[in-house]
Amino acid sequence: MSSRTRLLALALGVLGVLAMLVLHWQVFFWVPTEASMGIVQRIFYIHLPAALVAYLAFGIVALCSAVYLWLGEEKLDMAARAAAEGGILFTAIVLITGPLWGKIAWNTWWTWEPRLTFTLLLFFIYLGYFLVRSSTENAQQGKRFAAVVGIIGALNIPVIHLSVVWFRSLHPEPVVLKAEGPTLHPDMLTTLLTGMLAFTLVFLSLFLFRYAVAQLEYHRALARRDADRAFEGSGPSRPRDHATGGGR
Amino acid sequence: MRLYLSQIGALVRKDLLIEARLRERVVAMGAFAVLIGILFNFALDRTAVRPQEIAAGLIWLTIVFGGLMGMGRTFQMEREDGALEGLLLSPVPRDALYLSKVVANFVLLSAVVLLIFGIFGLFFSLDFGRSPLALVAVILLGVLGFVALGTLFSAISAGTGMGESLLPILVFPLLVPMVIYGVTATAALFAGLPPAEVSGSLRMLGAFALISLAGGTTLFRFIVEE
Amino acid sequence: MSLSSPSAPLPSTVGAPALEAVDLVRDFGTVRAVNGISFSLRPGEMLAVFGPNGSGKTSLLRMLSGVLRPSSGTVRIHGAGGGSAAGRGRVGVLSHQTFLYGSLTPAENLHLYGRLYGLEDLVERVPARLEAVGLSGRGDDRVKTLSRGMKQRLALARALLHDPDIVLLDEPWTGLDVHAAGVLRDVLGSLRDGRRTVVLVTHNLSQGLELADRVAIQVRGGFAFLERRAMVATPFEAFYREVVEASA
Repeated sequence: MSSRTRLLALALGVLGVLAMLVLHWQVFFWVPTEASMGIVQRIFYIHLPAALVAYLAFGIVALCSAVYLWLGEEKLDMAARAAAEGGILFTAIVLITGPLWGKIAWNTWWTWEPRLTFTLLLFFIYLGYFLVRSSTENAQQGKRFAAVVGIIGALNIPVIHLSVVWFRSLHPEPVVLKAEGPTLHPDMLTTLLTGMLAFTLVFLSLFLFRYAVAQLEYHRALARRDADRAFEGSGPSRPRDHATGGGR
Repeated sequence: MRLYLSQIGALVRKDLLIEARLRERVVAMGAFAVLIGILFNFALDRTAVRPQEIAAGLIWLTIVFGGLMGMGRTFQMEREDGALEGLLLSPVPRDALYLSKVVANFVLLSAVVLLIFGIFGLFFSLDFGRSPLALVAVILLGVLGFVALGTLFSAISAGTGMGESLLPILVFPLLVPMVIYGVTATAALFAGLPPAEVSGSLRMLGAFALISLAGGTTLFRFIVEE
Repeated sequence: MSLSSPSAPLPSTVGAPALEAVDLVRDFGTVRAVNGISFSLRPGEMLAVFGPNGSGKTSLLRMLSGVLRPSSGTVRIHGAGGGSAAGRGRVGVLSHQTFLYGSLTPAENLHLYGRLYGLEDLVERVPARLEAVGLSGRGDDRVKTLSRGMKQRLALARALLHDPDIVLLDEPWTGLDVHAAGVLRDVLGSLRDGRRTVVLVTHNLSQGLELADRVAIQVRGGFAFLERRAMVATPFEAFYREVVEASA
């Protein structure tokens, strides 16, 4: 089962890398320069797709978490975690490209631009997801806690987004807000779409690889447990090593 | 339904009774409110800014920090002698358990908010505007959403090794709407604007409270059950 | 003054089991704490479960009480599901943890639990039960001022407050002085009224054997031995050790 997943992941990865190459060619050689901001605006074609993928990833986290809590199937938790790892990676890309762009274009590292601010909040929701997972004594509890964090995060995200955008409308900063510039040239749109395709493919590839690895780890742990039991003969199994929750 | 409400009532009574006897959380939160007020006094340059202008922000931040500090201990009392297990053994529905904690925390936090307003009003000679009812509505709705989230996450943090220090990381990002709408509405009311001006914020605070409560009620049992 | 009123009338089906465990399994991650335990108790039977630490006895009991969800298998309490509110309402549990609130008085603790179980006559019931365990004099003291033995007596009153027809006891003699242990033994004896079904987990071989109808020895997650008490070889201690060693 996981070899099929890995094959698919590989295929998507190859396609993704190809799309990335196309994207880079477009960004550096083909797309016209935006009038008001100059060359640095090209970061946008990395910045925006990364943001969209980060949001998509979180949607997957929330969905898988919800079904995981409902059905209790381990592989849903594996999928949620794999999506979260990809998601936090792309969130980091957004948070790096954003200030970089801001510094070069407008000489300010941080402008409280609503989308960027929102992505920063999303980063911390992701962080909470991982922290809660790893800081419980009982691993199963950690998975459930993380699922709750993911779902509640997703439920509140619309309100958070609305509030951040509204706040910005009350306190406008003297900086050009429309990152795309006043008009979107068709070539720019094409580049943007290539970017979204490339990033989505790469994310899906990473996601599937990570999921396959998680599956392998799980099966190995199960096999080890069954081997222990077989070695000791038929009968009740012995709790392994650190029987934290398993004891009495 | 009658049983459900009776169960919630019994649990709320238990929490408030324990708090009344131990007075741990209310004293800690109250002292925090006063001390933060003192620190703000020294941290603000009164020649550069009038406290009245930033009071709404200061008050809400104090509510956030003090409130979270108090809510972090919500499930602490259930750990001694395994009390939580006793509750889970009973036929009490898990969402009733959650709602009872929310109600108890709401009562607690509302008392502290009252204190905060009193202290800050005193320290900084604040004018609270002409629409007390609207102000109360803004505060209560904001606090409700806050308590719904804080209670849910304190159940999580009680089950982790990091404990209460995890709480700000989990809760603060989700509190952004409350701070934005709460502060904006409060500041508007402090400036003497009529209640109609803050109806949009009130609606959003209501939505925030509703979403947080609904989420908490549905998800609580996954935190507390094995 | 009795500690409990007679329990509710039996269902009309004669011989229907009061407490049934069907293939109970519980995993904590890859650790298997309970590995396929099944048994069936008729109303009025008492099962004593012995076993070394780490054999999963507490996990078994927690599944029977409805607090721990089985990874697979079912628990049935007079036909109702083990984890349901209806099932939990018919179970009383006495553990080595008291489940009491130290800052409240004995009466307040019992009133709380009474309302959680939906009892209506608490004004009469609570004082009567406090009297039955000899705590009437300490009615207004905070529980944290009571001795261990008194707390356990109060816990007993709490466990039986709602007249459960299933009583589960997890190492109830832990930390009790001679007097309290005597009270406990008397109460357990009085539970043998032909209607109440009891599962007693204990290290106390002699006490457990004396009271039980059926005996089980749990080793590493499973019942290595499950028979009527008459079938138990004497001296029991030697037999017990034999069984445990054989399954190790």
